[in-house]
Amino acid sequence: MDFLDLLREKAFLGREFLTWLWFKSDVSGGRIEIPGGKVVEVTYLDRMTLDLAEAETPQSVTLKGEHSELREGLAALREGKKIEEARLSLRSSDNEFTTVIKSTWLSFGSFRTPPILPAQELGEDESAEATFLEKAALVEEGMELVDTLFRYFLELRISDTWEASELPALRRWIASET
Amino acid sequence: MGFISRSVSMMRYRVKGEIEGAFWEAVDDGVRKYTFRSVDGPGDEVGIGWTSIEDFTDTEFRGASYVRGNYVALGLRVDTVRVPPRILEMHVKQEMKKRLAETGRQRLSSSQRRELKEYVKESLKKSTLPSIQVFDLVWDTSQGLAYFASLSIKARERVEDLFKRSFGLTFIPLVPYLRAEELLTDSSQRRLLENLTPCSMVP
Repeated sequence: MDFLDLLREKAFLGREFLTWLWFKSDVSGGRIEIPGGKVVEVTYLDRMTLDLAEAETPQSVTLKGEHSELREGLAALREGKKIEEARLSLRSSDNEFTTVIKSTWLSFGSFRTPPILPAQELGEDESAEATFLEKAALVEEGMELVDTLFRYFLELRISDTWEASELPALRRWIASET
Repeated sequence: MGFISRSVSMMRYRVKGEIEGAFWEAVDDGVRKYTFRSVDGPGDEVGIGWTSIEDFTDTEFRGASYVRGNYVALGLRVDTVRVPPRILEMHVKQEMKKRLAETGRQRLSSSQRRELKEYVKESLKKSTLPSIQVFDLVWDTSQGLAYFASLSIKARERVEDLFKRSFGLTFIPLVPYLRAEELLTDSSQRRLLENLTPCSMVP
């Protein structure tokens, strides 16, 4: 399959991931327990775009605002839309990351890492290198959190558990009005 | 905003291919061969190439300054000029009048008009100040991953092309399906992934 076909035909995977992640975060009070013991705190923030991928004409809806406004997204999910992009925060241990994940490309808009502490007692060149390496390590840590959540989703999605319990629970959540 | 900023927009790429011979020598050759320089020719692009990630005017890379541990850190600088449309129109009209007067003809053919417009545009490009864009690229050579600090399609096309020319390696955007293939290492899992179809989440 060439790249453009793959991008078009497999785009559903990223959209299902972001939609599932919202469900998982909402029903777990923001604390998602990954099999193996790790916990990732996930909060959907103030911006979300949902659309209908299969429609001939694009039908998208963008929601902005706090938690209660975002819950209007449930109505869009009931119409068959899925999340194309969302701004969210991810936290594990002390470090928090925020970003806008776009599902089609799995790209990261406005990716914010925790601040880098200024490297003191170093020369200018050494300081630039130390700052760079610290930033690179933080970016990797943030990417690892996304990958951990994505792997958890994938393992569920290809398992029998998906049809048996995960998808029915997700549908019940979408049907809920709270 | 650049890679080092508090907030950065970026794409992840898998770097595919093998460098033949000594790795860091090949990297150095590639960086220096495609260091930022002016380019001639049609189109809006008047300069493209690698610069220091900290200083877009530094193209010397003293002491292989782009090397940071296992990372290669570069700026992709792209200079473009856009002749303001009305200025272009004005000069094209002036030049057309001049040519018609010189040849004594009533009008120019459509191909002559197109050539004239290109000629005028190219000469005006030289007196128009460029717009300078710089996008950071961070290549994690130990993991074969790269982060490119722009989501713009045009910028991405440019970096994919320049990276290929510089190092002979290909950038594959890590879209969800391709990342999924990497995260699911077991072959039976990958077969299940390949056969997945969209599911309806409507209650």
